[in-house]
Parts: sequence; C-alpha cells; structure tokens
Amino acid sequence: MNLDWLDAFLISGLFEVVMVIGLGLLLHLELGLARIANFGVVGFWGLGMYTFGITYVKIDWPFGDPMQFLVCAVIATLAAGLSGWLVGWLIADQDTDGVLVGTLGFATVVLILATTQQDLTGGALGMGGLGFPYDIGTVKANELLWLLITASIVALILFFVWRVHRSPYGRLLIAIGSNEPLARSLGKPTYRTKLWLFAIASAAMGLLGAMYGVMVRFLEIANLGVEITLAAMVGLVLGGTVRVWGAVVGVFLTVGLFDILIQSYIPFPREWYTQAIPVLREAVFGATLIVVLLFRPLGVLGDMRRDKLMRKLHGR
Amino acid sequence: MSETTGPIALQVEGVRSGYDAVTVLKGLDFTVGNEIFAVLGANGAGKTTLLATLARLIPLMAGRIRFLGDDVSSLPPYETASRGMGYVPQENGIFPDLTVLENLSVGGMMGERPRDERLAEVFELFPDLRSKRAQTAGTLSGGESRMVACARALMQDPRVLLLDEPTAGLSPIYVDMFFEKIREIHRTRGVAIVLAEQNATKALEVADRVMVLTLGEAYAVIDARDVTTEQLKEAYRI
Repeated sequence: MNLDWLDAFLISGLFEVVMVIGLGLLLHLELGLARIANFGVVGFWGLGMYTFGITYVKIDWPFGDPMQFLVCAVIATLAAGLSGWLVGWLIADQDTDGVLVGTLGFATVVLILATTQQDLTGGALGMGGLGFPYDIGTVKANELLWLLITASIVALILFFVWRVHRSPYGRLLIAIGSNEPLARSLGKPTYRTKLWLFAIASAAMGLLGAMYGVMVRFLEIANLGVEITLAAMVGLVLGGTVRVWGAVVGVFLTVGLFDILIQSYIPFPREWYTQAIPVLREAVFGATLIVVLLFRPLGVLGDMRRDKLMRKLHGR
Repeated sequence: MSETTGPIALQVEGVRSGYDAVTVLKGLDFTVGNEIFAVLGANGAGKTTLLATLARLIPLMAGRIRFLGDDVSSLPPYETASRGMGYVPQENGIFPDLTVLENLSVGGMMGERPRDERLAEVFELFPDLRSKRAQTAGTLSGGESRMVACARALMQDPRVLLLDEPTAGLSPIYVDMFFEKIREIHRTRGVAIVLAEQNATKALEVADRVMVLTLGEAYAVIDARDVTTEQLKEAYRI
C-alpha cells in the first residue's frame, strides 16, 4: 500500500485526538452525569499502558501475536478496572474535594511506581520491546491500521455513552449526580452504582492506555504527567461536560487544533514543535479551561437535555 | 398521650439522633397508624431531623424504629424505601437535571404495579404536571417542584409518606391546594402520612393526631381536635 501522501504526524495527531476523545467520553460518564470529579485519568490510563507493556515484554508467553496482544490487553484492562474499583471504594462517598485528592493521589502513585520500579518499567530510561500485533507492510501502514482499530473502540465507547443517555441507567447516574441524598432516599444503591461506574470507566481507560502503548512502542514516564488528564478535561469542559458529543467537539477544538492543525499544516520552525508549542499547548489549555468555566460553564454545546430529544422521548 | 387506632405503620421507641456531637432528638416515643400525623414545632424543634431519621438518612444514636412491624433501625435508606417509606424533603426534593417524567420514573423504579398505571394516577392527582412532563425539572416554579417531589414519592407506592414542610415558602393558592392533596392522598390511597409543618392552623385542619415538638422532645401527642391554643403557644414559645 502506497501511503506516501499520508503525513506520519497526521496519523499520530489523529491517534492522540481519538484516544483523548475516548478518555473524554469516559470522563463524561463520571463527571458529566454522576459528578465524580476524576482528576486521575492519567493514573488509570498509565496503569493500563504499563501493565500491558510489562506483561507483553517481561513474560515469556507460549504463544505470539495477536494472541499475546489480546491476553496482555485483557490483563491491562482488568488491572485498571480493579484499581478503579479500589479507588472508587475509597472515594465513592467522599465529597468533591475528597474525590479530587483521591484520584490525583492515585495518579501520583502510578507515576512514582513507574519511576522507581526500574526492573519492571525501565524507570526514567523507558521501556521498549513493544510492537504491533500484526504486520501489514510498512510502519506507516501498521500505524494507520492501529489508528482505525482504536477509533473503532472509541466509536463503541461513544455508542455506549449515547445509549446510557437514553436508558434508565443514565437517568440513575444523572439523578445521583444532581441529588445523591434524594436518590438514596428513593431506594437507589448510589454507592454501588458509583463504584461500578468508576471501575468500568477505569478499565476502559486502561484499555486505551494499552492501545497507546502499542502505537508508540516505547513507554516513558513523561507520559504520566498531567497532560493527558488536562487534555481530556479541557476537551470535555469546552465541548460540554453534560453532552454526549461534548468530548468529541471539545477535543477536536483543543487537541485537534494543536496536534493536527498546528503540527501538520502550519510551517513553524521545527524546533518550536519540541520546545515552544508543547508549553504553549498546556498554557492555552489552562487558559481555555478558566475562560470556559467563567463565561460558558456548560461548554460550547450547552445544556444537557435538549428540548427536542426530551419531547421525542416523553411526548409533548 | 393519644393512642393510634388500627394497625401501626410506624413505631418509634426512645429515638435519639442528630449530627455528630449535637443531639437534636432527645428520646422520642410515638406511634403512627393509618392516619395523617402532624409534627408541629418552631424552627429548630427537630422536625426535619425527625423525618430524615425516619427515612434512615440520619443514623440513630439510640432507640428503635419499627416500620410495618419490622425493626428498620439499622437498615440503609434504600432498604426502608423499598419497603414502602416515601420521603419528600423540605428542599432539594427533585432531580433538577431530569425532566418531570424522568423524575417520576426514577421514583417509579420500585413498586409492583405497572409504572403507567401509577403515572396515570399521579397525573390525575397533579394534572399540571402532565403538560410539563418533557420540561426539565430545574426550570419549574417552587410550587411545581413541590408537586413533582410529592408525585415522585407517590410513584414508589409508599405505605407511609414523610412530608417535610411541603408548603414552606409557597403562595396561599398553592398552600390550600397542597393541603387538599394531602387529604386526598390519604383518603384515596390509604397512605399513612407524617407531616412536619410550621403552619399549625392548616396542619390541624387535615391531621388526625398531632405531636408537638419542643427542642427535640415531644411536648404532647394528642388528637388534633384537642389541641389548645395554650399548647401551641407553649410549643412555639410565643
């Protein structure tokens, strides 16, 4: 397959956009519906990424790819889900401050473990040895296929979120988010619902981390900083925390703008891309967050419940 | 102390409760039968704490609560709710991000009768809600919000309904309407109602029996027709 026309930066930029959309959609379920302020997205994503890397590289499996990839990805997803369940168990009945501290603390623990457990993770030197579970020719072709596979997973997450909005389960999440004591008094197991939501969303974040590990094929602790959480949070807030399409629109306007438009199509000097632009990116994301929260707290797409949809669901 | 007649829905024995180190209810004993049982008292008397304690939202410090004969003292709120305890708090009684119909549906997830049957009944009781069913509850007026909260509790098919000052802050038209609805709910559905109220005059019009609370203690539990002005003045410290 001749892919000379395709810019390698565009593939990696699109992959970043797709992955952050996935994380933003999962954050939408937690923050937008159930009002669980998860500031430790990178912790669950990073745990999935490193669990995948360790199991893929360090264990001598009796079978090769693609089975090896599938088994390691499942282990990574389960590890992130289990850690989400444990963190959720600690924070599910905490107020917003407690949730924020608990999730940030978890992300910090993951970063410290990845840094200090050098035998397993490679520490600051990083961890190589990962590869695509298939080979269809060139690296660019493999990356393009991996982008499409990841985009399919994110499309499934989007479909799931879309269905949640129209289901009794979605109503329950919104009810818990908007008035938890009342939901509890109505016989709803609010703690258990939040716990499972957090565990499932964390598992999916871990899977996206594993997908990222394959795409970059080299794991670095620099990936475990605040950038991933910030990108998902800013995208979601800009698009609209309470809307299904909020994360999609918001991430295109933020990550898409920087990682695709600027990197691929604006002819800045090359050194800017490694020095000035990453710093500018975080500064713009932070400023965007402040401006949106001040002037349009519901984001570009606005209110959760569109009148048209509600009339369709409930009749006039 | 006035005694209830007929089957006992709620039995409260030596109940003490409050918030951390603050004891609000200081040992209450009373029973509620199939009746409208009003709880009267001034601000700070403990009416809201009492209803939240009965709904099991505030843990007991001492004492016991029996609901339909079963000890529910250590049960979580969702257990008592599923056994038929409906609770309408004084404030924040709705889910503002959900539509009116969704609010009612969340209430209607429990109960054995078909949801549509219950929905038809609450729309008959509160006809104004039918035309607003697709409207987000957070955009409703204060009176409409109280209607939604009450209708949502009725969707649970409760055996006992705890109403915490349902008319506080409402215009006189809504106040009259609400007290009429309370009477109608009890009469047509046979639901026992515990009504916490500051509006003593209105509460006495609909109640069968009254408990007058003063600083967390039962000043009197008497037949509503026997309440004297002196007792109310004493309770309200006028």
